[in-house]
Amino acid sequence: MNPAKTQQKIIQQELALDAYLSTLLDEIPEVILPEEKPRIQVKVFEKFPAPVEPKVIITQPIPESRPIASVTVDRPVKMHPLSVMPDWSQHEFQALFFKVEHLILATPLTELAKTIKIDRNPSKIPGQPSWFMGLLDEHDSRIGVLDTGQLIFGKLHGSQRDLEANPFKSILITQDKRWGLACDEILSIGRVKPEKVRWRTSRQKKPWLIGTVIEELTAIIDLQALVPHRKSST
Amino acid sequence: MSEDKKQSDPIMQWVTFCLGDEKYGINVMQVQEVLRITEIAPVPGAPSYVLGIINLRGNVVTVIDTRNRFGLPSKEPDDAARVVIIETDKHIIGILVDSVAEVVEMRGSEIETAPNVGNEESSKYIQGVTSRDNKLLILVDLNKFLSEDEKAELDMF
Repeated sequence: MNPAKTQQKIIQQELALDAYLSTLLDEIPEVILPEEKPRIQVKVFEKFPAPVEPKVIITQPIPESRPIASVTVDRPVKMHPLSVMPDWSQHEFQALFFKVEHLILATPLTELAKTIKIDRNPSKIPGQPSWFMGLLDEHDSRIGVLDTGQLIFGKLHGSQRDLEANPFKSILITQDKRWGLACDEILSIGRVKPEKVRWRTSRQKKPWLIGTVIEELTAIIDLQALVPHRKSST
Repeated sequence: MSEDKKQSDPIMQWVTFCLGDEKYGINVMQVQEVLRITEIAPVPGAPSYVLGIINLRGNVVTVIDTRNRFGLPSKEPDDAARVVIIETDKHIIGILVDSVAEVVEMRGSEIETAPNVGNEESSKYIQGVTSRDNKLLILVDLNKFLSEDEKAELDMF
C-alpha cells in the first residue's frame, strides 16, 4: 500500500471525526433554545404593570444577541404560571358584583353560567375540606358548592361563620357548571375598563385576586384560579 | 336491555341509611344484620371513632361512631338509631347510624365519581354518588372504610 495515500486517508478520517464532534457540540444550544423562549416572554410580560398592553409587548422582538443564560438568571426562580393574564382582562368586560360578608367582589360574566338562590343545603361529602360545602344537583349539573368566605378570607376566619345561623343566600355557578361559589348577595352587573383596574401581574400569593377596580376598591376575582381542580371528575 | 349490557352493567343492591340530612348507601352483600341499639360498652384508650363493643351472640363486635368518622357533629342515639353489622375484609364491625332507610337497586352506570378536592386519604371510602328521589345518595365503599392498621387495632378490643 502507498504510505502517502494511507497518511492522507487517516487525515481525512480525523477531519471527518472533528467535523462530526463539532456538529454534535453545536447542536446543544439549539435544543435548549425552544424551551427557554416562552419563559423570556413571561418575564417581559411581568415587567409591565398594566396587562392591557401585552400585545404590544409580546410583539417586540427579543434581541437575538441577548444571551439566554443572562435572562435565565434574571428571572425569579419560581415563576407562577398565572403571571399571564386571562383574555378577559385585556378588554373592557362586564362583571358581576357580589358580596361575601362585608366585602364586595367582582368577577367577569363570561366566567359564569348563572346564579341561583340557595333553597336547599348542598349534600355534604365526608372527608372533604371545610370550604367544600357539598354537592348540589341543579338541573342537569352536579355542582360542587364552595364556601367563598373560607376561600377568600382563609380557613381560620371563614370557619368562624355559623352557616346554620347565617347561611349564604346565593350561588354563582361557573361557566363549566362544575362549581358554585356561595355568596351573601348578588349586587349588580357593571362594565369594567382595564385602565380603571390596578392589575396584579405577579400573583404568587392569592393568585385568584387578579386586580382591584381603583374607584370602587372592589376586588376582581379570577374564578379559574379560585376554584379547585377536581382530582376525579363527576 | 340486551344480555350483554345486563352483564357489563349489573344491578347492585344498596342498603341506605341516614346520618343528619344526608343519605348513604352500602353494598347489601356486606350487610349481615341490622340491630336496634343495645348497650355499647366503651373501650378505654380506643380511638375517637370507636364507640365501644357489643356482645353479638357471644362474639365481641366493635361499633364505629359513623358520625365521628364522617366528620359530623355527634348526636345522642334515639329510637330510630341502628347498628348495622357489616363484613369488611373478614372483619366484622358495627356502624352506628341515625336510621336505616331501605334497600335500593341501581346499575353501576348510575354511579358517578364524587369529586375529591381534599386529602385523598380522608375520603377514599366514598365510592361515588347518585341521585335518588331528587336527593343525592352517597355510596360508601366499606372495604376502604377503615385502613388496614385500623382494622388490626379493632381486633385487639
